[in-house]
Amino acid sequence: MKDRLLLVSYLAAVVAGSVVHDARLLAAGAALVIASAGAGAPRVLRRVVRAALPFALAVSLGYVVAARADLDAAGTVLLRLNARVLLLVGLAFRILPAVDLHRALGFAPTLRFVLVLATSQVLTFRRLFTDFRQALDARSPRRVGLVAALRHGAATAAWFARRAEHDATAMTEALDARGFFLDRD
Amino acid sequence: MHIPDGFIAPQVYGPAYGVAGVLWTVGLRRLRRELDPVAVPRLAVATAAAFALMLVTVPLPGGTTVHVSGVGMIAALFGAWNAFLALSLVFLMQALMFGDGGVTALPVNALAMGLAGSLAAVGVLHVLGRRTIGLFAAGWIGTVVPAALVALVLGLQPLVAKAADGTPLFFPFGWSVTLPAVVVPHLLVGVADGVLTVLAWRILAPKEAA
Repeated sequence: MKDRLLLVSYLAAVVAGSVVHDARLLAAGAALVIASAGAGAPRVLRRVVRAALPFALAVSLGYVVAARADLDAAGTVLLRLNARVLLLVGLAFRILPAVDLHRALGFAPTLRFVLVLATSQVLTFRRLFTDFRQALDARSPRRVGLVAALRHGAATAAWFARRAEHDATAMTEALDARGFFLDRD
Repeated sequence: MHIPDGFIAPQVYGPAYGVAGVLWTVGLRRLRRELDPVAVPRLAVATAAAFALMLVTVPLPGGTTVHVSGVGMIAALFGAWNAFLALSLVFLMQALMFGDGGVTALPVNALAMGLAGSLAAVGVLHVLGRRTIGLFAAGWIGTVVPAALVALVLGLQPLVAKAADGTPLFFPFGWSVTLPAVVVPHLLVGVADGVLTVLAWRILAPKEAA
């Protein structure tokens, strides 16, 4: 219940953040959200900046170049836009880590089931990808060339596909054995 | 190709949630009815693969990003409906677990990439068949069509949401910027997605269909 409440609160805050258009209010909201992390505020801010900076910077620079004749008006637009992005991305990094998504989506068993399967595969992919890359580096006395890297990537991808499918099949058969697929309409 | 939070106006993401919500409900009911213990793992693997592919993003000056998507791959393997659901799931995970893509952009991404991209890919497969050229074209069109739609949605923002003084409240560029900035790079990304679709079909396709 706590997870669902948090998720709903986050979604409501996002909607609120996208209907407010006062740059000062948006900036104050962003500052409040990040400061509410207490000692963790610098870490939240770092994550927000890392996630939002590429997009915000690309749009802002493009807009400044396009509106170079009227920089005052451009400043107002960019302040509002970037404060909103900061607020919304800040909300995501401040609230969502506390939400257990699988519990929050408990009202939809099929969605939760597929989400669990996909998450397990994503985690498998990420961990093993790192293992494979480090193994290739360890076996290569010199920097790996493009052809070798492509061959390694193709072999790794094929291995991932087989392994992930095998794991997901095992999980599905386990659920099947426990009657998960029997209650379908 | 993901649109971050803060760039889409509520006048756009509200109706998009309405349309996508209906389609998600219908899709989940179909999933419960039709998928069996053999097909579900394949869907999970394809979802995870698309997720992993989309993690590697490069920002574009038009305010969005570029990466291979796997839309054509999933549509070729599972059909348009399941591709729509799988990609929606990817966007949900990215928005709620990794802060990438954003919840306000989720229905737009789901409809553009998951639905329109998948339908375009399946349409191409219907015309050209599941030979190499058909699979490649499906992967390419499954990238280019969503890119064009995302560019149209982004360019729509300054028209539907502006302040009293006429300045934009959300994404500030019109179609003259978004269409070339988003679509042109994806003409090349589509080639990578086409190759990916061909390779994935050879590895993952059901033996009786391959």
